[in-house]
Amino acid sequence: MTSALAIVAASLVLVAGGALGAFALRKSWLRRGSAALGLVVGGWIVLLGLPIIAGLLFGAVKGPALAIVMQGIGALCVIWFGRVRRKAGRVRTGDIAPEPLEEPGRFWRGVLRTLLAGPLGMTAAMAVAFCVTVYLPGDPRTRIVVGGLLMPVLWGLAMTWTLADRRLLRATAVLVGTSIAGFGLAALGAALGVSA
Amino acid sequence: MSNTRKKQWRWPIAPETVRSVLSSHSVLGLAFAGIIYLVCLTGSIAVFAPDLQRLEVPAAPVATALSDQATARALTAGAKQAPAGTALYLTMPTAAKEGASLIAYSPTFERTWAIAQDGTLVPLEANWTEFLIGLHVNLHLPKSWGAFIVGLTGVALLSSLVSGVLAHPRIVRDAFHLRLGGSRRLQEADWHNRLGVWALPFHFTLALTGALLGLSTLIVAVLSLLLYRGDMGKVYELFLDPPPPVDARAAPLPDLAALIAKARAAAPQAQPQQLILERPGRADMRLTIHGGRPRLLVQQDEAKFDAGGKLVEQEGPEDHALGTQMLGGIGQLHFGWFGGLAVRIAYGLLGLALCAVTSTGVTIWLSRRRDRGRPAPQWERIWAAVCWGQPTMLAATALIAFFAPTAPLTALWLGLTVVSIAAAALVRGVDGMRQARVWRVVLAALMLALAVLYMGRAIV
Repeated sequence: MTSALAIVAASLVLVAGGALGAFALRKSWLRRGSAALGLVVGGWIVLLGLPIIAGLLFGAVKGPALAIVMQGIGALCVIWFGRVRRKAGRVRTGDIAPEPLEEPGRFWRGVLRTLLAGPLGMTAAMAVAFCVTVYLPGDPRTRIVVGGLLMPVLWGLAMTWTLADRRLLRATAVLVGTSIAGFGLAALGAALGVSA
Repeated sequence: MSNTRKKQWRWPIAPETVRSVLSSHSVLGLAFAGIIYLVCLTGSIAVFAPDLQRLEVPAAPVATALSDQATARALTAGAKQAPAGTALYLTMPTAAKEGASLIAYSPTFERTWAIAQDGTLVPLEANWTEFLIGLHVNLHLPKSWGAFIVGLTGVALLSSLVSGVLAHPRIVRDAFHLRLGGSRRLQEADWHNRLGVWALPFHFTLALTGALLGLSTLIVAVLSLLLYRGDMGKVYELFLDPPPPVDARAAPLPDLAALIAKARAAAPQAQPQQLILERPGRADMRLTIHGGRPRLLVQQDEAKFDAGGKLVEQEGPEDHALGTQMLGGIGQLHFGWFGGLAVRIAYGLLGLALCAVTSTGVTIWLSRRRDRGRPAPQWERIWAAVCWGQPTMLAATALIAFFAPTAPLTALWLGLTVVSIAAAALVRGVDGMRQARVWRVVLAALMLALAVLYMGRAIV
């Protein structure tokens, strides 16, 4: 049994590793002008290598999961210790981030966008995910779970796209088309026994 | 003519598109901010559910190991205390989770006990922890609807994470900037972006697993319509064992300790971690023993025994489809159950970071409006009441639960939330910043009181 102590020790090493990787990247970032390829490569090797080592030591899923959490904390510690104080009222041009696009608010556009990002986006995402479930080769349980995992990702992407795209008719056409084609193909596959 | 200047790397998305995506990020974030914040806040605390249960019920024993005899004793005692037809779920102590517990569950009966080292049962009714988990999982709404709304929140969070990255052309340039002071909006933006970027893999995992857990009923319903003419049971059958054939004749319990020893012998690499006893005292009884291996995230060893003590089925990791393993891992990854206290603390911290990302997102929008001469003082007050008011409400319910463990916590939380938000919207004399300061003072006082009361009781 993986002892609680081993997990604690590994967690500390991974926090330190995350901090080390982020520290190397920060060093290279501070030297803006000069080349710091070694630091960049070293930083990424640490950040990407530790989850692999953790996977070898603690299991293919458990190890990387532990690494993702602990390395994130280590990297955020580096950010915290590298904080600076900004003088009040002094905003440089370079500090200003892009501004969101502002459109005059129209009620019906808002309603349509909500429908596109919500129910229609969900339907289109489900249609594609279930197509994958029906046509993907392999065990039905694996296909169902893969389709299930795809569905929220696709819905999230549909939300991002429909809320960002100003051409609402195009978004509507794509989502309706995807829903009809996806569910049609999935139903056809199910009827033909592809999923059996 | 040679160009000596190095080509600068450019964000692959056109500035106009970046602004559109940022607008989408803003709209979605604002629409779901309150609910994302509440789900993340309750989730960050619910990670510590085993520890909170112990604080709530200090009399409950925390077994570090459980012998086969003690396990059998606990199951037998549970079967005697629960009505006929109740299934018993026994969880053994592991490296990832100290303490053993037994849950008796049927559609009409539910009770939880902690199990002492010798197998004695002690009631473990931690009402506040239950309230907190219910708020996180389904917002105390009717189960399917509540879970769907939480799942939808997970999708909105996923979408916000994607649009947040796409709308961040300075992701590399600002990767290590944390500039405090000066303009409030820029300070909040630095917090928002740094916490969001460096904890992104964790937040993405959490949002994806949470969305799938919340939407699973809907996914199963639609999938069953497509594949099995609406028979949802057919989809569940793929993942769950069918119940044993009904035989309601009375039958004594077999020697449970011997069966656990048999399961150990059958899968020596695995450690029994969960036992499920169905229909105890009947001829169609079934005992399922799930075993876990150190390198696996999910329990994948399984031994099933019938009422006569016969091993009727045995499975190891090689017998499970990848999908079954993935499904089991989703809960482990979402709730941080796989690595003990160290992982729970890390999950708690990064969960709070996600709360901060959500909160700063709203503050950036409010500050931008103020900077442009279009302040929204009412929304500033309301957000203060959500951001600092919600942890205060949770602390207040924990205080009430200390003095009145059976108090209706959901109704109290809802009442306090509605009153606090309505008051924030209506009281114009105190601005959002000052209200936030008041909330923080009240929260600190409540946390101190909770620490003194709960820790004091645990020590005494």
